[in-house]
Amino acid sequence: HGTARALGYSPASRVPCRIMPVRWTRYNPSYLEPEVKKESYQRPLEELTEEEREQRELKAVRPIKAAPPTLSSSVFSDPMISKFTNMMMKSGNKVLARSLMSQTLENIKRKQLEKYHKAPENEKETIECNPYVIFHQALKNCQPIIGLSNITKGGKTYQVPVPLTDNRKRFLAMKWLITECRENKHRRTMMPEKLSQELLLAFNNEGPVIKRKHVLHKMAESNRAYAHFRWW
Amino acid sequence: AKHTEQHEGRLYNIPLEEVNAVFPHGLPHRFQQQIRTFNEARVMVRKPALELLAYLKGSNFTHPAVRYVIYGERGTGKTMTLCHVVHYCSRQGWLVLHIPDAHLWVKNCKELLQSSYNKDRLDQPLQASVWLKNFKTSNERFLQEIKTQKKYMWGKRESTEEGRPLREVVEQGLARVRSASDAVGVVLRELKQQSHRGSFRLLVAVDGVNALWGQTTLRKEDRSPVSPEELTLVHNLRKMVMNDWSGGAIVTTLSQTGSLFKPSSAYTPQELLGKEGFDALDPFVPIPVPNYSPREFESCYGYYLERKWLQHDKAHTEDGKAELQFLSGSNPRQLDRLAGPL
Repeated sequence: HGTARALGYSPASRVPCRIMPVRWTRYNPSYLEPEVKKESYQRPLEELTEEEREQRELKAVRPIKAAPPTLSSSVFSDPMISKFTNMMMKSGNKVLARSLMSQTLENIKRKQLEKYHKAPENEKETIECNPYVIFHQALKNCQPIIGLSNITKGGKTYQVPVPLTDNRKRFLAMKWLITECRENKHRRTMMPEKLSQELLLAFNNEGPVIKRKHVLHKMAESNRAYAHFRWW
Repeated sequence: AKHTEQHEGRLYNIPLEEVNAVFPHGLPHRFQQQIRTFNEARVMVRKPALELLAYLKGSNFTHPAVRYVIYGERGTGKTMTLCHVVHYCSRQGWLVLHIPDAHLWVKNCKELLQSSYNKDRLDQPLQASVWLKNFKTSNERFLQEIKTQKKYMWGKRESTEEGRPLREVVEQGLARVRSASDAVGVVLRELKQQSHRGSFRLLVAVDGVNALWGQTTLRKEDRSPVSPEELTLVHNLRKMVMNDWSGGAIVTTLSQTGSLFKPSSAYTPQELLGKEGFDALDPFVPIPVPNYSPREFESCYGYYLERKWLQHDKAHTEDGKAELQFLSGSNPRQLDRLAGPL
């Protein structure tokens, strides 16, 4: 009863239930999201519009949800990178996943810087040294445009081409990269080394992950006839 | 770049050929990676190093050798200070005896032979031969000039007569790996005896000197633990570090990272050397190495920006710089680790 009240979970407004929620938050709807960016608090009162002033007053009164550990106010944090790190994590070992990610970014930076210093003057501008730019561009290049889904009609299952949401595209790109790096490598190569190789290849639109994306597109193209099976 | 006196906080450049000649085995791993990426070796001039160089310049070489112990918390730049001093001395023409990490000699040794010279002691052929190879590359010309003063027998048939250059002893040690540790002992003894004559100056630079007096992780064949005195290399090195010879200086570094059976928060000489070590090294000059001062931090940050090491857009802003300073606590190693992925 005491812990239920601390969660903002008042038995009077919700269905009384003995089980404590573990995976989904069942916060009382009066709880507001935490605001992490420093800039939003530094703006003076005059700059804000009416709604924003109301929002601020509301924040002074209403309770606020606890911030999840992945949310940080650091200027260097990137939501895509944290998502990728979470997907690389095995059995909750976030320390290891994060160190692998930082080693990968450092590897990419070293390789590109070495190439940069050896290149002649006119080519120096074309070489991209920022590992974050390379990471984002590589992921964008790996995202499929159209996906396949299994639809059963008349006893037979058909692979039907289907549009994908943004989230699904990002997830597929990251998943393909990680599985590729885990499986197709020599026993002794480290993950950061292999990942940096794959990211650089994907940045230049080469490599096995881009090939997999093209294979998927070709399958979808060949199954065009079944497109009308989709009803959504 | 030999005499850097009032240039505190600035970085000076070491030409790459000298790096390979002077430091075949001395530099930390991350620094070597940095040299490869930036195509240049830049060392920051800091107060402890300047202090040490001033003492070395003003020291009297007829007195017994003075011992300097560089200590400080983890990652504050003790090994880099040592490398700076080593580079300065080699530029000045001293004979440098640089042991990169004494901890490597007391742990993870695959082969331990019983010494032929003294029945109680144990030899380490691998480590000794590696060290002899590096010693040869760093001090080529001295090996020709210095002559042995005694006849040494390596086993039943081979021997080195009096008056042969030291290079032959080193080559003997490299060729016959079994007697490599004895070759090291011979080299050390010769150098000690001849340094007071004044034809050359000797600098003994030992990194991780607390390994000589602690415990080892090695075991004999009957699974009884080995104490450091029983290793020939450690025994000879201890004799070297004693200040009963003149004509040079001994610069050592304490290191917690490689040390065995010591807590990770220990960094003072008292804790890391133990009672034995402290008594053995007793009259020494302690040199503490602190974290970066604000000026040094700015210089390091500026260097990273100039060499395009900090690629993240936000890293160029004031906020980013403040955040880096806070997260690393002005510790050089933490700053290096943090600036890696950024």
